[in-house]
Amino acid sequence: MLEISKYESLTKLNLTEIERTQIEKIANKLIVSFEDLREIDTKNVEPLVSVLVLQNVLREDINVKSISREELLSNAPEQYGGYFQVPKTLD
Amino acid sequence: MERFVRSESAGKKDAVALEQCIMEKGKPATSGSKMLNNFTAPFDAEVVSRLNATDTSIAGRVEMREFAVGGSFFDTQFGSPAIEALLAGDAGFALCSDVFGEIRSKAPMAGLAYIHPTYGSVSRYGLIPLAASMDQIGVLCKGLEAGFQLLSKIAGSDLKDGAMLSEKEYEYTKINRRLRIGIPTKIVALASEADQTAIKSFCANFETENIDLTHFEIAKQVMTILAFAEASNNISRYDGIKFGYRANEYKNLEELYVRSRSEGFGLPAKLAAIMGTYVLSRDQYESYYEKAMKVRRLIKNSFEFDKYDLIVLPLSISDDAYENLSLYALSPLAGLPSVSFQYEGQGIQLIANSKDENALITAWEVAQA
Repeated sequence: MLEISKYESLTKLNLTEIERTQIEKIANKLIVSFEDLREIDTKNVEPLVSVLVLQNVLREDINVKSISREELLSNAPEQYGGYFQVPKTLD
Repeated sequence: MERFVRSESAGKKDAVALEQCIMEKGKPATSGSKMLNNFTAPFDAEVVSRLNATDTSIAGRVEMREFAVGGSFFDTQFGSPAIEALLAGDAGFALCSDVFGEIRSKAPMAGLAYIHPTYGSVSRYGLIPLAASMDQIGVLCKGLEAGFQLLSKIAGSDLKDGAMLSEKEYEYTKINRRLRIGIPTKIVALASEADQTAIKSFCANFETENIDLTHFEIAKQVMTILAFAEASNNISRYDGIKFGYRANEYKNLEELYVRSRSEGFGLPAKLAAIMGTYVLSRDQYESYYEKAMKVRRLIKNSFEFDKYDLIVLPLSISDDAYENLSLYALSPLAGLPSVSFQYEGQGIQLIANSKDENALITAWEVAQA
């Protein structure tokens, strides 16, 4: 069964007791159902990453207008002098 | 959260509502999450640019389940704001993202139809992603003919979406071809009697062939594993720094991440993050994630469109929403187009071969006649 605290730390989440119970209940039901995968013979089957046959898409090396720095930063919770602002990262 | 945010064109017959995951410049795009409550779209999604270029009005924005993580996993009722907007006359169409089949399952019961186009035929530029290998913008409509007309305005290759088919445009039209419908009898037998009667009556208009969809039952597991894996990756970008919700109080960078994500995400996003990280973890990667990708190939190869043009499916085979997920997983997993609509009072789903949307329109029109 899922050791949920390990995945909370990996996903940078701190769940409430109620959330933990809810997620555990759903996750455990799903994990039990995943066991059925073992029954399927996939010997010599390659994983399918995309349903499309993807090819490199190339274009002429010409500047294309993208969004401006101001527009990019306009959704930042905090910014300073044209940069994203974060708390001090080194003591 | 408001279920429908009106634009000036709301109420116009042909106006198009947009789910909150499709960006319209200068408007909020929440993707149904508190995480993006204060997010304003910095540019138009490609589908929005194409609607604007064809003078198609935008009715407003409809709320959605958080990041479109489907209802198959939760007991809570959410309804469908997109369906409500059409029923209320606020919009004639809605553009939606429906990986888990939530709208495909509900639209026919409301007398509406839903078109899930061939993977790679509609640009996802400006669509807030859930699971990129399956994400596809689709059309909620009152009738399939008008729905496909709208689809033809937005479909066609776009360099800004890296996973697209090469066709520049699509003309969706009725064709002169005798259609053969594949009936997966074992699956149809699990539907209600009323559904079975409607399917039988629908298929009476066509040549039919009884078929066996191998790996059908396992499709729900494959979709769940792959969608959560991709979703956990996609929502890792919400860190409280570049955009989206940031917690008010934090002592250091780690706390900023954890508090912002814990307060900003709802249960659907948290479930997707945890399950996705679990199936991608070193211990589980081979038995779940890689295995699911292999079975996905088996599912994709199991269709035999040389024997039939379309597959008919019911919209429900169980009272358990998760069991029903297999019905909706097939077309996103294999990248195939599908429609769901009402026929003789019951919901029906049709799946066609890649780029064979015209078989879907034709079948629908033949059955209406």
